[in-house]
Amino acid sequence: MTTLSETRLRTLLAWVVIVLTAGPVGGAVWLGVVYGESPCILCWAQRTSMVLIGLVTLFVLRYGPRPRYLGMVVLLGAWGVFMSLRHSALHLARDVGQGFAAPYLGVHTYAWAWFIHWVVLGVVGVLLLLLREEPAGLGPREPGRVGRFAIVFFLLVAAANALQAFVTTGPPPFIGQSDPLRFSLNPRHWVWMNHEEIEGRISLRGSWTIPRPDPANITADPDPSHGPLANPPVLAVQGWERIGPALDGRLTDLALGSPSPAGRGGQGVRALAVTDDFRVYVLDSALSQVQHFVQLDHQFSVDLTPLAGAAFVGDTLAVLSTNKSYVLLRPEANVDAGREWRYFRETSSDITELRRSRFATVRARQMYVLSLAYDAAADELITVSVPSPRHRRLVVSRFARSDMTLASEFLPRLGPGLVAGTDRSLAEYVVTGAVVVDGRLYAISAAYSTLLVIDLATKSVTAAFAVAGLEQPVGIAARGAQLLVAQADGRIAVIERP
Amino acid sequence: MEFFNFLLILWAGWLIWRRPEKERLAFRLLVASCLLMALLFLIGTHTSLVPGVNL
Repeated sequence: MTTLSETRLRTLLAWVVIVLTAGPVGGAVWLGVVYGESPCILCWAQRTSMVLIGLVTLFVLRYGPRPRYLGMVVLLGAWGVFMSLRHSALHLARDVGQGFAAPYLGVHTYAWAWFIHWVVLGVVGVLLLLLREEPAGLGPREPGRVGRFAIVFFLLVAAANALQAFVTTGPPPFIGQSDPLRFSLNPRHWVWMNHEEIEGRISLRGSWTIPRPDPANITADPDPSHGPLANPPVLAVQGWERIGPALDGRLTDLALGSPSPAGRGGQGVRALAVTDDFRVYVLDSALSQVQHFVQLDHQFSVDLTPLAGAAFVGDTLAVLSTNKSYVLLRPEANVDAGREWRYFRETSSDITELRRSRFATVRARQMYVLSLAYDAAADELITVSVPSPRHRRLVVSRFARSDMTLASEFLPRLGPGLVAGTDRSLAEYVVTGAVVVDGRLYAISAAYSTLLVIDLATKSVTAAFAVAGLEQPVGIAARGAQLLVAQADGRIAVIERP
Repeated sequence: MEFFNFLLILWAGWLIWRRPEKERLAFRLLVASCLLMALLFLIGTHTSLVPGVNL
């Protein structure tokens, strides 16, 4: 293998310093002076990191490739990649063209920082691979003509950055800003601050710190009288039923549907039950016999958190996990056992998986769900978000069956005659089951054991009822003029549909 | 503070160029500048230290 002498290494490193300082570092100053672009506090840290990489390179140029210099470059490269990923994450997932500040050669600066730090790590690796082992020299080396130019050029560009930093961030104790103003050499436009960036509590994941709900064990106050709506009328439980066969796992939703068309298998399909053990059961209308079942492989492909929702979509079975991932299944007389082995851990060998993907929401983003309903009139699936300490909203999201993409979303308002207590809101309800009948969404909340009736046309809650005696309601299904409220323990409360 | 950090960098660069025998001081300035840079980034991201994406 061709090796690299220390003399050639110094020349090469001098050019690295020149390119690094003239390109991303000097170019950033040029963007500021010519176009008025000011770096934010995160941009400043990434730019400083690149300048520091140039400085460490000057150390190698002057004193040779000592381990502590190489170690420092690796640390700066690794930290720079992390910084760039953290910064870019704010913008990478936005829509096309929606970056932050102006692009530089078609790419935004935070993405450039990512690329450059990654290249630095690669270059260090290549140089270490090629560097010839020579006895460690004593004392400083003569940098040579290119080296001297690199040092002077580096100092000039660093000085220009210092000037820009003084203008946009000010002297200590002022620090950079999250949303900086346009760069100007006119002192009247200089804004220095140090309070904006230190506000807010320290958090590892910020708004992504969302505790995962357990659909079979919702910890919420079940007392209807403590709810946000004052004195809701009471719906009495007319009777109790039970799912006959023992299910593996705790029940997390129940749906009722029409029998399958002839020739598609599964004659007489009526009830769909899911459990927190990723099991999907198709039962007869009397809930006394399991006709089909599967246990989904939740770690294959799309990540499934515990199942929390179930709905019939014609003869298709739709099941939903708390993270809004869904699976579409269908009973089939003839299934390919080899194909189904990939999707299921256990199966009755007469169900096939049609699709596994995720719902994407806008207003319900970063919120989990515990319910799934199907609106046959609109051919849309419906979810209702559950609140978390970070995000307190009750969002009804509707997804077109044709492409399983968000069709509309709304935050229901209170209809006439319904009044929430002071500083109370619908967001306090934890909807664990939902079903659509005649254009109305019936949503059962484990918190305050309340049945909400939401008119889908007016997007408002038209009625709310206390259902006393419920324990861990996890789902709701419609049967004629009745509603069946399923509990985690497998018992089913029968109430009159209001 | 960013301005102050660039002064540290300029100082270290000047030592490398004009006072190469003061390597130890220059390296300490480099370390101090790295720590200050990391601290400023952590201040800017303290409400969400890791990237706001699915981890």
